[in-house]
Amino acid sequence: MNILKKILVAVLLFVIMALLVFVFWNDCDQIILIAIIFFALLTFGFIYFVVKGLNDKIRHMALVVGEMAAGNLNKKIKIEKNGDLNQIANSLNDLMNRLKSGAVMDTSVNRELAQAKADFVSLASHQLRTPLSIVKWYTDYILCGDAGDINAEQKKYLSEIYNTNQRMIDLVNALLDVSRIDLGTFSIEPEPTDIVKKANEAVKKYESIIKIKKIIFEKNFEKMSPLNLDPRLILIVFENILSNAVKYTPEGGRVRFTIKKTDANILIKISDTGVGVSRELRSKMFSKMFRAADAKKMVAGGNGLGLYVAKAVIEKSGGKIWFESPSMEFFVEDGGKKAWKNMMKSGLGTTFFITIPSKGMKRKSGTKKLERIE
Amino acid sequence: MQEKKIVLIAEDEVAMLEALSNKFKKSGFGVLRAADGEEAYDIAMLKKPDLVMLDILMPKFDGITVMKKIRAEQTWGNKVPMIILTNLNDHESVIDATENNVLFLVKTEWNLDDVIDLANKKIAGL
Repeated sequence: MNILKKILVAVLLFVIMALLVFVFWNDCDQIILIAIIFFALLTFGFIYFVVKGLNDKIRHMALVVGEMAAGNLNKKIKIEKNGDLNQIANSLNDLMNRLKSGAVMDTSVNRELAQAKADFVSLASHQLRTPLSIVKWYTDYILCGDAGDINAEQKKYLSEIYNTNQRMIDLVNALLDVSRIDLGTFSIEPEPTDIVKKANEAVKKYESIIKIKKIIFEKNFEKMSPLNLDPRLILIVFENILSNAVKYTPEGGRVRFTIKKTDANILIKISDTGVGVSRELRSKMFSKMFRAADAKKMVAGGNGLGLYVAKAVIEKSGGKIWFESPSMEFFVEDGGKKAWKNMMKSGLGTTFFITIPSKGMKRKSGTKKLERIE
Repeated sequence: MQEKKIVLIAEDEVAMLEALSNKFKKSGFGVLRAADGEEAYDIAMLKKPDLVMLDILMPKFDGITVMKKIRAEQTWGNKVPMIILTNLNDHESVIDATENNVLFLVKTEWNLDDVIDLANKKIAGL
């Protein structure tokens, strides 16, 4: 009998009892009274046994599941004929069978493998960085005049070496970030953070390029109280997106950085009047090692990993990231003709949008921190 | 004239040791050099320098172990300014360093001038 039938029987008994009470209320002789009491006892007894039976089965099942969770994969839940909880029992038994057949072993092996990979990446990046930092220091040593005077031409070439080496360092750092994301070993540790301060910090990194390229840079930051963000991660995300905006915007172009509150989110917009993203390349923007062919023509440098990192960080912490190209940001306010002229001249432009829940980033524990890409 | 500050540099990579010690010398420091963890600890205990700079990955003892051993010494080691200067940027080491009041620097992120600057600040107790 399934649980529904049992309840029906209980209700039926109750109704009969109620009818007896109703009909014979006024001429209450002894037999009727006994009958009523009999039916009442029958009803409550029945309900008691139904509930108790169910309760016992659930308790039994909880014990067995507890044993399974503790590692005894051979344990089975007894299947009764027409049992109330057969469906759950069957599913649990199936699950145990599947776990026993190797799924459990696989995950633990995978975990070990992932740890080994993470350790390898950590060590490999150390080994790669060692020669890079030696080159960095010695070039710096000569450049700042500590090893004697150098002429202007020598200084120029040395600066080239220094900058190229720095690009290599950035690349190694980015690769490290990517591998940590792929391995899922990076952690998100939210703490009260002043988002505007972090934004300013990121902008500062590109100040000199902005100046050299005469980019009109607008900051549009709404004042807000501290948010629960991972300060390192938000900085990495800002830097990666700003780096693209500044890199792909031609001389005299515009970049606008906006942070504002919406109903349940913090909205971050970074708009530029740069080369934009062509239709066929839009779907690949957030994948690894991607750089728009148009961008390749214009500037060297960039490692094609920044957006991948940004997307992983934002999505793992409960936010969203997307972009729009051609960008409507400046189009609307410039109005018709002027906007078209600008677009033809400099490119379609791109706007990146990021939303982070107002309650902050989701915590994620992991063995490694993502490092700041210097 | 101000007394010359003595810095101990522990670094197994010869090229780096060279660059660092030259830079420190030019910036007016007296330099002690160690090529592995054990040597670093012995020299530190013997000479009690004003600043200890440690790499992490070194033969014999790693830099974190040396740091802890030095901090365990009660008269000088528990308060001597120390800097970990490494390319091994793992979370645990950073925490270890911070807990022991040791500045943690990643080599690729700093120029030599910055390192000197930070060393001076650390000695001044900032």
